Amino acid sequence: MSLNLDSKIPSGPIEDKWTKHKFDMKLVNPANRRKFTAIVVGTGLAGSSAASSLGEMGYNVKAFFVHESPRRAHSVAAQGGINGAKNYKNDGDSTYRLFYDTVKGGDFRAREANVYRLAEVSGNIIDQAVASGVPLAREYGGLLSNRSFGGAQVSRTFYARGQTGQQLLIGAYQGMMRQAEKGQVKLFPRREMLDVVIVNNRARGIIVRNLITGELEKHEADVVIMATGGYANVFFLSTNAMACAVTAGWKAHKQGALFANPCYTQIHPTCIPVHGEMQSKLTLMSESLRNDGRIWVSKIQGDTRKANDIPESDRDYYLERIYPSFGNLAPRDVSSRQAKYRVDEGRGVGGKEAVYLDFKESISRLGQSAISERYGNLFEMYEKITGENPYQVPMRIYPAPHYTMGGLWVDYNLMSTIPGLFVAGEANFSDHGANRLGASALMQGLADGYFVLPYTIGNFLASVGNTEKVSTDHPAFAEAKNRVDAELSQLLKIKGSRSVDSFHKQLGRIMWDNCGMARNEQGLKKALEQIPQLKQEFWNDVYVPGDNKSLNPELEKAVRVADFFELGELMCRDALERNESCGGHFREEYQTADGEALRDDQAFCNVAAWEYKGASVAPQKHTEELVFEKVKLATRSYK
Amino acid sequence: MSENQKNLNLNLKIWRQAGNSEKGVFETYPIKNVSTEASFLEMMDQLNEELIGQKKDPVAFDHDCREGICGTCGFVIDGSAHGPLKKTTVCQLHMRNFEDGATLTLEPWRAEAFPVIKDLVVDRSALDRIISAGGYISVDAGSAPDGNTISIPKPDADEAFDNATCIGCGACVASCKNASAMLFTSAKVTHLGLLPQGQIEQSERVLNMVAQHDIEGFGSCTTTGACEAACPKGISLAAISNLNRDLLKAQLTAKSLPSSQSDVV
Amino acid sequence: MSRGEHFKYFQSSPGKKMIMALTGLIWAGFVLTHMLGNFLIFVSADAYNAYSHALITNKIILVAEAVLVLTIAFHAINGILLTLYNSKSRGSEKYAMQAKGEKAVTLASKTMIYHGTLLMIFIVTHLVGLKFGPYYETTVNGVVMRDIYRLVVEVLSQPMPLAWYLVSMVALGLHLSHGFGSLFQSLGIKSKSNDLLIKKVSLIYGAVVALGFISQPIYIYLFLAR
Repeated sequence: MSLNLDSKIPSGPIEDKWTKHKFDMKLVNPANRRKFTAIVVGTGLAGSSAASSLGEMGYNVKAFFVHESPRRAHSVAAQGGINGAKNYKNDGDSTYRLFYDTVKGGDFRAREANVYRLAEVSGNIIDQAVASGVPLAREYGGLLSNRSFGGAQVSRTFYARGQTGQQLLIGAYQGMMRQAEKGQVKLFPRREMLDVVIVNNRARGIIVRNLITGELEKHEADVVIMATGGYANVFFLSTNAMACAVTAGWKAHKQGALFANPCYTQIHPTCIPVHGEMQSKLTLMSESLRNDGRIWVSKIQGDTRKANDIPESDRDYYLERIYPSFGNLAPRDVSSRQAKYRVDEGRGVGGKEAVYLDFKESISRLGQSAISERYGNLFEMYEKITGENPYQVPMRIYPAPHYTMGGLWVDYNLMSTIPGLFVAGEANFSDHGANRLGASALMQGLADGYFVLPYTIGNFLASVGNTEKVSTDHPAFAEAKNRVDAELSQLLKIKGSRSVDSFHKQLGRIMWDNCGMARNEQGLKKALEQIPQLKQEFWNDVYVPGDNKSLNPELEKAVRVADFFELGELMCRDALERNESCGGHFREEYQTADGEALRDDQAFCNVAAWEYKGASVAPQKHTEELVFEKVKLATRSYK
Repeated sequence: MSENQKNLNLNLKIWRQAGNSEKGVFETYPIKNVSTEASFLEMMDQLNEELIGQKKDPVAFDHDCREGICGTCGFVIDGSAHGPLKKTTVCQLHMRNFEDGATLTLEPWRAEAFPVIKDLVVDRSALDRIISAGGYISVDAGSAPDGNTISIPKPDADEAFDNATCIGCGACVASCKNASAMLFTSAKVTHLGLLPQGQIEQSERVLNMVAQHDIEGFGSCTTTGACEAACPKGISLAAISNLNRDLLKAQLTAKSLPSSQSDVV
Repeated sequence: MSRGEHFKYFQSSPGKKMIMALTGLIWAGFVLTHMLGNFLIFVSADAYNAYSHALITNKIILVAEAVLVLTIAFHAINGILLTLYNSKSRGSEKYAMQAKGEKAVTLASKTMIYHGTLLMIFIVTHLVGLKFGPYYETTVNGVVMRDIYRLVVEVLSQPMPLAWYLVSMVALGLHLSHGFGSLFQSLGIKSKSNDLLIKKVSLIYGAVVALGFISQPIYIYLFLAR
């Protein structure tokens, strides 16, 4: 396998690269497209938009997903919005500005050319969504509405109440269901991809487990697209859905796909805190709350008084204190880290992992009805979950893992280091650098599926032709199936004493403590010792009930957790070797006197792409240098 | 964490069914020390952890986002789909809504069109096939005009949105004495029909979606309103009235009825 | 199975409800006028008999009767088919418990087939006992006509027929309180803005018709019975 990390960025001025590339790429004649089959794994925004687009073009598509319905993919949970450089508000937005903001927001660790293309197609995504019936917010005049989001200085975020992800996903899903009706897309529900099949150095199929019958199925195709989402569930507690896993990506990684920048994780500052041992996931509260809420903790360590009993003189509004100009609106990573420091100092609410978000001052200034009008639904949701009324008692919030910028390495065409294996959406690493801007995840997923893959897949297929067909009888399929079978049998055979969740929680704790909001060498080294031990214990003592012949959710979890151990180790290794702080990766050793992230552009202006070398061998790091031709490297400041 | 946190002891009477062709029975499980801060599904996690500890088969139930938006979760608690609270999915239902010492009866969605897969897990793919039949706007990627060339009056946009909030959980079917999926079907018909870009195909859409609804074996709406009460997104029964009107109009005016069988495996 | 080509509107699930709505609408109108006409019992025997005579000697009434018979037949047969169809959709496993509280539905809405069946039996007994019952004669203003008044008083003076009549009218009230509102839904007239109004009107309609009908035999029993 070639390990020359050629990003295949087209030459020429950045504004023309994509246009030029679209012209340079080979095409598949419409009549010939039906001779090709594409596998799409995952039906979130990236997967369903790719499946529907390829189906519309005439390719045969097989779509696989772990849920009973493709509409359940976790893109559905995105609240805020989707960026589009439309400049409808006449406030100075442009493709270039969205590109610039994204590169800067990613702390200069993303590929310029990819980001420019993302910004370039962002407007088309909005058009496509509207045409497919997505009810984006409207003004009274009937035209589309925009808001400013995540500290952007222009209003370029399109939204659909607090459920933009659900509405966009339903739009893409409906498009895919239209192709299913036509027979262009064949749906395979409740199938989990457990391996990729490589024949003659090219991805030619996948092995999936039918989650209802337990059967391992072999599926062949001319090209495999993985749109399998992010891996924040390595922390056990995150805002991700329960089924979100790295498994598909990790199996591909083990077969030769490089994994890039695994340590880049985004921690969202405003989530509802953990209530106890049985907590299963964390719920995000929109960041907009910070516009009117004041964040504070008690000045006294281990203060057990109720919030309303703590006098003003004992309250520390720490963001306002440390960042007088940005105050409570300090960026996600900064705000999250400061909350962690307060908790580390023993000043969290009730000694636990939580800080207050207080609306008392805004309520007395603006009145309860004004606050209710702005945040009524969020307050209701908070009360539903916590049983506390935030109009009377300050909210308790704490940061939580939310999004992972790292993922499988892909070139400009979104192809991984395995030829024929394409990776889209959160599963790839390409567009967000070290930190993702608000309202950019939905944009990237749909850009990849609607407007990038339809071109680059054609180029690939035209290059390889359709003469060399393989069938699932090829020994490579049997080999991959045996690999999967062996792992499943092994997991079922252990019949130890501990549940899968108990291991996952323990792993999550190690990752959260050592590879979470702030990392340091000592912690990462400690984690690198603890994780292999825990992994060993898992393989000796996990108890997976039942068999592999019917629906067995514990077995599903076990496979995913087994891969999280290996990924967790790689994340810590990547974080340890990246001796700088950037975006979502904050190494405590590398900060300015003010406690800000300190990048090392000399040594680390690159992508770290890891190669799997075997179970007992350390992975090998390859780097792709990042070249910034358009945007000058600069330091973020929020003082 | 909350100052009002308490622990509950409960009896759970749960429908256990090994597979679709197996016979199901109720089994009763006592569970102790359930935090009132936990969600209903976290209580189920706790039960399953205990069952696994006793080397028993954990209870299978569908769930995913646990934020009330993916529509994966859902079962019947004491006769109510998603439990006693209105506009709440079972994942968003918290244990503080239950009394200490209570016995709770948990059953899967029951409907001929939703075969039980295991325990509380059912197959709702029939809903996907209704969408396949016409729950979309035919627009290929790349052919869309600028978003602002289609302007939509805000009241229409808002009503379309209200109907678009359906999460496809199937509570409407589960709670309906006729196992009708009319609220689901009509929410999509209303969402798309209110938009100018969706109006073009509205006749074919409503005819095909209703036909598929019936093929799947869902019942007929008799306006009991159980669906509206159970719907976690509060979708109005008025949507069904809207479907009835559009269907009649389509029947009287439609020129051709495209049809084919869907391909959901 | 092809979806669109074989689509038969009146066999579709909304179509079946359309049949119920249209036939139900005719009968809802009929029972109201019937109830109002019967109020003449409070006026006098002659007025009551004269009204009845005027009706049955009018040729148009034959058409109306034909329509009523046809629609009730459709309504009943379709109602039974609908119930069977819906029961099949519900499946063989029934829920162990019924929803209570906020998610419960009205009694009337889930028992339509039961009061419907009872009403069908009532209609038959009503016709057999009165329309095709014993024939008495009287003369009003020189015209010889049927003394239906006498028959009605005679029948409803007896406790058993009276009780049956009252039970049936309660059933009618229940049936209308749901059915009248539901038909707006089936006809596609309901919207979010008139939803509550329709619900109220439906309840009032059912109550008015039922109470109107009930007031007459009670009056008979208390004041006219010998």
